[in-house]
Amino acid sequence: MASFLVRNGLILVVLVLVPVFVGEFWAYQLGLYFLYALAAMGVGLAWGQAGILPLGQGMFVALAAYLAAYGLLGFGSSPLAYLIIPAACIAVALFGFAFAVTIFRGRSEQGPSFSLITLALTLAAFQVATTWSSVTGGFNGLRNISGLPGLDGFLDLYYLIAVVLALAIAAVDYLVRAPIGALWRAVADNERRLAFLGYDVAALKAAAFAVACGLAGLAGALYAPQQNLVTPDLAGFAFSGDLVIFAAAGGRTAVLGPAIGAIVVGALSAELRDRFPWWEIVIALFFIVVVLRLPAGLMTLFARLKRLSIARSPAPRPSRAPDKPRIAAPLSVAFDEVRVRMGDVTILDGLSVRTGDEAVLCVIGPNGAGKTSALNVMTGALPKRGGRIVIDGVDVPRPRPAAVARSGVGRKFQTPSVFQKLTIDENLAIALWAGRWRGLDLLRPSLFGWTTPLLDEMRRRFGFLRSGAKPASDLSHGERQILELTMALVTEPRLLLLDEPCAGLSHEETAAVIDAIQWARHELNLRIIIIEHDMELVRRLADRVVVLHQGRFLADGSVEEVQGNPDVRAVYVGGSR
Amino acid sequence: MESLVVTQAINVAYEVLILAALVLGLAVVMGLLNVLNIAHGEFVMLGSYTAYLVQKAGLPYLAAVPAAAVVCGAIGVVVERFLIRPLRYDPFETLLATWGLGLLLRKLVELGFGRGYRSVDIPISGSINIFGEAYPTYRLVLMVVSAVVLVALFVWYLRAPTGARIRAMVGNPVLAEAVGIRTRQLARNTFVAGTAWAGVAGVMIAPLTPVEPFMGLTLIVNSFFALVVGGMGTVTGLFAGSAIIGGLQSVLTAAVSPTTAYLAMLVLSILFLWQRPRGLFPRP
Amino acid sequence: MLTSLKTSRRELLRAAGVGALAIGAPAIIRPAAAADTLKIGVLVADSGPAALFGPAQRAAAEFGAATVNAKGGLLGRQVEIVFADAGAPPAEVAKSAVKLMLSDKVELIFGSHDSAVRQGVENVVKGKIPYVYTPCFEGDDCSSNVYFLGETPEQQLQKALPKIVELAHGKTFYLIGDDYVWARTTNEKAKKYIADLGGTVVAEDYYPFGAPNKFETSVAKIKSAKPAIVLETLVGGDNVNFNRTFADFNLSDDIVRLSCLLEENTLAGIGKDASKNLYSSFGYFADIDLPQNKAFIAELAKKYGDKAPQQCTISKGLYDAFVFAAAAAAKAKSLDAGKFGAAVEGLTFDTPSGPMTVKHRHTDKNIFLARCDGTKFTIVDTFSAVPTQQACS
Repeated sequence: MASFLVRNGLILVVLVLVPVFVGEFWAYQLGLYFLYALAAMGVGLAWGQAGILPLGQGMFVALAAYLAAYGLLGFGSSPLAYLIIPAACIAVALFGFAFAVTIFRGRSEQGPSFSLITLALTLAAFQVATTWSSVTGGFNGLRNISGLPGLDGFLDLYYLIAVVLALAIAAVDYLVRAPIGALWRAVADNERRLAFLGYDVAALKAAAFAVACGLAGLAGALYAPQQNLVTPDLAGFAFSGDLVIFAAAGGRTAVLGPAIGAIVVGALSAELRDRFPWWEIVIALFFIVVVLRLPAGLMTLFARLKRLSIARSPAPRPSRAPDKPRIAAPLSVAFDEVRVRMGDVTILDGLSVRTGDEAVLCVIGPNGAGKTSALNVMTGALPKRGGRIVIDGVDVPRPRPAAVARSGVGRKFQTPSVFQKLTIDENLAIALWAGRWRGLDLLRPSLFGWTTPLLDEMRRRFGFLRSGAKPASDLSHGERQILELTMALVTEPRLLLLDEPCAGLSHEETAAVIDAIQWARHELNLRIIIIEHDMELVRRLADRVVVLHQGRFLADGSVEEVQGNPDVRAVYVGGSR
Repeated sequence: MESLVVTQAINVAYEVLILAALVLGLAVVMGLLNVLNIAHGEFVMLGSYTAYLVQKAGLPYLAAVPAAAVVCGAIGVVVERFLIRPLRYDPFETLLATWGLGLLLRKLVELGFGRGYRSVDIPISGSINIFGEAYPTYRLVLMVVSAVVLVALFVWYLRAPTGARIRAMVGNPVLAEAVGIRTRQLARNTFVAGTAWAGVAGVMIAPLTPVEPFMGLTLIVNSFFALVVGGMGTVTGLFAGSAIIGGLQSVLTAAVSPTTAYLAMLVLSILFLWQRPRGLFPRP
Repeated sequence: MLTSLKTSRRELLRAAGVGALAIGAPAIIRPAAAADTLKIGVLVADSGPAALFGPAQRAAAEFGAATVNAKGGLLGRQVEIVFADAGAPPAEVAKSAVKLMLSDKVELIFGSHDSAVRQGVENVVKGKIPYVYTPCFEGDDCSSNVYFLGETPEQQLQKALPKIVELAHGKTFYLIGDDYVWARTTNEKAKKYIADLGGTVVAEDYYPFGAPNKFETSVAKIKSAKPAIVLETLVGGDNVNFNRTFADFNLSDDIVRLSCLLEENTLAGIGKDASKNLYSSFGYFADIDLPQNKAFIAELAKKYGDKAPQQCTISKGLYDAFVFAAAAAAKAKSLDAGKFGAAVEGLTFDTPSGPMTVKHRHTDKNIFLARCDGTKFTIVDTFSAVPTQQACS
């Protein structure tokens, strides 16, 4: 906390003292770049943290600017005019949240579609602003907007903008360090994993976008009194593109990157523009070099500064995480005539199977039998074409990953699915927060210190989990399997789905994992469904075995019963039934 | 009144087919390789300038087609080698790099030709009567060329081994490499084919549009939306996207107003991107 | 000689500035101007959609400055131009205007750019120094200490429309324009004149500004509506595109076109095959047969040789600005807002397109109706001292 205050206090002091050193004109000019910096920081937050690239942030700047323009025309010289700035910021942020959550809800697809939606939106906004003269003043804009009361000279507004920018930097700095920041990076890293832990990914992404819009709103609300003029240019694609360029050039993952990008690129173009007719060639080459040579942007050059701004806070004091409200009984699942098709291929062909009294159910079958697909359709990763899936006695017509996870289903994937770019501690913390955070918890850094007896025990059993600052990408395949299993366990599920949990593990690791699974099963009174090829493992773990073949139920029973079943033998020995 | 309907119907078909011709190169680069080439419009622009130079040199207009393909293909080779490949064909990294490339190409052309408009004479003048309505011959020729190319491509992509290789590479690059497909060359050739075709499209439209360094910027917008609405990586998607975006805009321009048509096109794109983010006919 | 030496020193410093050392450095290190020169900030389009006018604007301005200096300067002081790029969005150009005032200490600003940028500049200049706006525009701006030398829609249309009706042998109009304020305002005024002439407007089409427009649809509608005259308020590329499409559909033989924003560069883009029966109404064409203009073009040719950028009404206005400012300052004996503003009313000064007289901070001037012959303009009628109908006090 102390370093946070020192760092951001320093930034504030520097920004406020700038005019003393550079003179009135440069201060005025920097004031404008600071507004760009505000909006670019929003782009950086959405893109560099949450992995959403907004191509139309100019629209939100424009929206706030038009709102502020009307506010200033209405309030005139009343001191209430200052309220316009937070009001416009909040209004635009709420609008951005509503818009984004609508788009993201129910869609887990990554890719350029959201970016292109924002692009289309800003193109439309530009056209509306240009055409709708009675409201926006048309192409020539709303003119004669009064300034904020008491701020007249070229310099006066600079101080306000500088303070707002410093506060915004501090806010972003805080957010990316808070639990929500870790969750945003987790979204960008592995959206599916987050959803299978029970997080509302759409809301998380929308929250990042809303913060970006709020920053764009601040920029727009200050732009109106600074320029006394709001024109559709703000909503033009060129400006939105510039904001992305600023973020990319400065470094989108660092807090200060986009702001530095806005100031450096802005000042560079302004200086070159009037001196050198072919200045855009210089800018283009500069930018290409940055993309090729400095993927992390100019911040790479400011490594020292970056360490200042991104330095991890000291590990928070460990504290007991709140208990998860939990029904003690294991969770039951029933498939009734479930059908799944992908294109022309039938994957599940009327699968009917249900869990019984057994604690550990092993699902076996040859490749293509539909084992993993059965787990996928149950957790909402595959759409079903027919039949019923009943989870915990409730018919679930369209399972969704997060909802299924929240009902008490934990899942470990076949190939380990963890947050590669996050540390071990962050991976574990995110799993631990799932279902335990309340209210504004995600803004409290102390959440990083949460732990539970189960997690302590896992850390005791698997030593590598204790070197928590290591990024998950540095782990071996086996360690990643164990990390993911631990993440699934700390959510304290009532049903755990394991897809070949010991694949790629050494002999010792396999033994330790089986031991841990057995221990956790008793500890949590847990039902486990395991997909496994290794009959040795099946024999050691299974209370009951279910055999699938060609998307249908083939046989079930104890290991011995199944092994003695002629149908099963026919399938495994070769030849069809 | 009826004659107006006939002309407008041909106009709709014309707009769809011209858009498809423009989208084609982008579909190859963006749809098959996932490279978001923002500078695609600039390759079209370079094709148009090549056509201008060829015509000015007194050569037959058809000579501009290979010339533009060579010019844009050669630049494509350089861009692939020094920009796209070093960025590992990453969609967002290449989007940023090609933004810079587009700016660079625009300014370099401005340096060579100035900012003014160049006019390219229409190579085939006169008009042909269709259902009793005179329609400019050159536009009809373009429609036929575009349609033939689309059909040929459709057939080729389904049958030819290269088509199968591209599909294999796109579907699973590691596996494709393992079965002996030289993905690096194939990716480069695909990229270059896209830029070369952009040049050809530039030759096609040069006589119909103001030829100037910034022409590519606006051309690209509709192409992007047509591509995402139609679905990437399939010829059917390319045609469907062009038909929806071009057709809707053309029909609404005639029926309501051009501004409404443009806004409706954007709104429709938003709806498609939202509800069908992979487009109508995506690559399976 | 003195000037050219100074200029070359400036160039050198500019070149050094590119070397990154000076980039981002405060204004202090800029070359200090000799105390007796009078600096004028000139906003020209070096980038953006209007950049095709940039070179011609710079040439016209430089020649304007040389002309004023040759005659003893402005208020007895040699003038020196500080160019700034006006092709950027309003906020950026406003910033450049602040720099011109605070760092370069310019005492006048001349600008040739769109109206949105003008309003941005007005907001920072705030009437502190005279600001001369030179291109054609839609009117309706009376910001203090701003002077307008360009054509207003009234000037372009009030005399030209009766003549075009005569040439077209018909009074039915089809209006087509870009969907923004200049086109809409111009058409509102046109409709009044058309009504006065007893004409009718059969349809109006407005195309989204800056969008990828195609014009086959409107051309088909025009073909079906058969108006006598198409009145165009399309700009730049849209203007080129529409007129080429129009001619491709074989309408240019039967229908007369009058464009409200057609100058030499746009005509070059439209091309010789598409310009039949196309007219333009403006306060200047590079080919007008006036001795003042012959001298103007000859001097530019002498200075730039073959590379002389194509002059048009939009660039030539900046030359006028120098003549105007010198004449006004001579009369006011000051650049002080009050005195300068009072002196300009009724002031007459001579330009390459003939005399202009300041009325209500706008200028009554010659308007030429020109027919396109290939890619050249042929003047078919000249209307002298056409008033602007603007009433700024």
